[in-house]
Amino acid sequence: MPGAAAAADPYNRPMRTRLVAAVAAGKAATALSRRLGLGAGSNFPGRVVLRLYPRALEDMASRLERGCVLVTGTNGKTTTSNLLASMLREAGLRPVHNRVGANLITGITAALAQSSDLRGEPRGDIGLFEVDEATLPAAVRRLRPRMVIVTNLFRDQLDRYGELETLAGKMDGALRELEPGSVVLLNADDPLVASLGKDSPASIRYYGIESAEAAEGVLRHAADSKHCRVCGAPLAFTAHFFGHMGKYSCSRCGTARPFPHFSATRVELRGTEGTSVTVSTPSWRASLSLPIPGLYNVHNLLAALGGALLLGLGREEVERGVRGYVTAFGRGERIPLEGRDIFLVLSKNPTGFNEVIRTVRGEGKDLVVLAALNDRIADGRDVSWIWDVDFEELAPLPRVLVAFDTARRMKYAGMDTARIEVRGDLREALRAALAHAREGETVFALTTYTATLELRRILTRMGAAPGLWEGGSS
Amino acid sequence: MKGLTLRLCHLYPELMNIYGDRGNVIALERRCAWRGIRVEVSRLTLGDPLDPGDFDLFFIGGGQDREQMLVCEDISAEKGAALRQAVEEGAALLSICGGYQLLGRSFLTWTGELLPGIGLFDVETVGGDTRFIGNVAVRCTLEGAEGTLVGFENHSGRTRLGPGCRPLGQVIFGHGNNGEDGTEGCVYRNAIGTYLHGSLLPKNPRLADWLILRALRRRHDLEGLPPLDDSLEEAAHRAALSLIRRDSGLLWRAIRGSGR
Repeated sequence: MPGAAAAADPYNRPMRTRLVAAVAAGKAATALSRRLGLGAGSNFPGRVVLRLYPRALEDMASRLERGCVLVTGTNGKTTTSNLLASMLREAGLRPVHNRVGANLITGITAALAQSSDLRGEPRGDIGLFEVDEATLPAAVRRLRPRMVIVTNLFRDQLDRYGELETLAGKMDGALRELEPGSVVLLNADDPLVASLGKDSPASIRYYGIESAEAAEGVLRHAADSKHCRVCGAPLAFTAHFFGHMGKYSCSRCGTARPFPHFSATRVELRGTEGTSVTVSTPSWRASLSLPIPGLYNVHNLLAALGGALLLGLGREEVERGVRGYVTAFGRGERIPLEGRDIFLVLSKNPTGFNEVIRTVRGEGKDLVVLAALNDRIADGRDVSWIWDVDFEELAPLPRVLVAFDTARRMKYAGMDTARIEVRGDLREALRAALAHAREGETVFALTTYTATLELRRILTRMGAAPGLWEGGSS
Repeated sequence: MKGLTLRLCHLYPELMNIYGDRGNVIALERRCAWRGIRVEVSRLTLGDPLDPGDFDLFFIGGGQDREQMLVCEDISAEKGAALRQAVEEGAALLSICGGYQLLGRSFLTWTGELLPGIGLFDVETVGGDTRFIGNVAVRCTLEGAEGTLVGFENHSGRTRLGPGCRPLGQVIFGHGNNGEDGTEGCVYRNAIGTYLHGSLLPKNPRLADWLILRALRRRHDLEGLPPLDDSLEEAAHRAALSLIRRDSGLLWRAIRGSGR
């Protein structure tokens, strides 16, 4: 009986057998899930693996020679981990990385099973996992990461996560459980994120924007963390970047923005083209050309760069990693179709949307815009946050706006209803937007998460975009 | 409608704004502007003085716990009395979720802390251990705004009405005031308290117009408001209702399924 032999077997063969079976089943489930078109966010393959062998995740993760890095936060997880993965590959490492949207325990499990060989050995040496903020405690406990990167915390999908303070408290609890010798890399410009990790045994490092010209005059109403987490007094800002990101200090208790170890000292935003950034690290300075738009992506660059350097990478590997970066799915992709360009930007919360609008504003007026919101569960069911977005700034820009679920908001943003076209179907909406665009013109598609997935599927079917699984988003 | 001015006071806009409550102010502003009514919006926050005679319409949204505590302290001082006086004198008011709770008599938190309210509404709120989250449909019984209301609720407070006010409506789907007595919101004179986010007014234009008309009547002799083309708003209202029907259908099937 195999059960009787288990205790005596020094190689714990039954455990290995269970892992092998679980990995094989996970691979089969992933293939099935893709065939059924369940999408990258499907929990099903990971569930199969964990059902067969509950410790599969711990087991597979412990076989990664260089350990695990977790990237968490509301916005920027995907771009940050893709940039970091690109740098790690330049250094000759083989990161194991979970796919877009699969950032719960089940998604990470599926990613590890998928990248393991049939003996359950990973075909990679370092784990690089995007982790949903609320999943961080479980992920830290099970993966024992050597590094945790926190990008930012915005009010996003509150109906799923509870309020920000509660979330920050839970994240603090997770960081307390890190092992000494591990590193936490935090965004200094986000007051709530910068307040994390105070009683963690890990060493804490910060990144942030130092360039003065990147700042905006006013704190927007979509700003979420405007009060000192220590004493509750209002924070005084000397610079605002976007949302509640900025340079701040508390007038009552003196808590202030920590000085960043990795910073952007010069930022030149070049609209949808991308951004020129001068970065400064403890040992060198360099000018980098970032192929993705918006100030928020400067933060993502700094997070990836800081992570890379803290993992021991050098300047050349970082620079080559940025140059070789392939835009993540829906994060500012340009897709040519029928002599026009579709510029696809995903926004899933007020600050994300405001930044996208700021980027699009640089493109002048007379635009063709496709705006699509939907309230499927992955977007956070409640879509009331669209009222916190400054659509008033978008309203004067479009020549025509084709709306899927967004029309009423645009009407109340002051847009002439004669310029709004409502379509109940995303495919039709895309067709209409293309028909309005002239030869060589760009259609700006502003979409929420599930709408982005759907649009991408439609574009793939039209032959315009590579399939989700073949895309450069690994 | 030319020559009319509505003086709107948005209370604690930077502290009490969650789930797009700001959309209510946008809706009030636009629906007035489309009718040629001028709107003056004043944003009052911690420490600002409030003169009850200065405004026709007040709005206060919901907030996170920390923000709600800060506001509780401020509103229990002079502002509370001024608000009560304004409502007694006929001003209109809309309060959502946390704002609604603060205008009641008291709020006993789940952790046992008793927060005083300003007692504008005869309601008391007790914190619960679970949250009521989801879409809501309400049969609104408010005179002049009868019909369905749709919105989104997310609260752990259970609010019970005293004899000094009446409910805004009866819950068709969702939890409402306390998940037990089938009521949602409360009305006292021209003041409304409700748990509906969503934003509420852009999806329920009839209620927006009810507030605008009551607010204008404070200083103007007015029969009614000229109608607007509300086809987009009504479509959104219908879409929300059908989503709720679908949800309740699923719920019904789940109950029947588990009963087998």
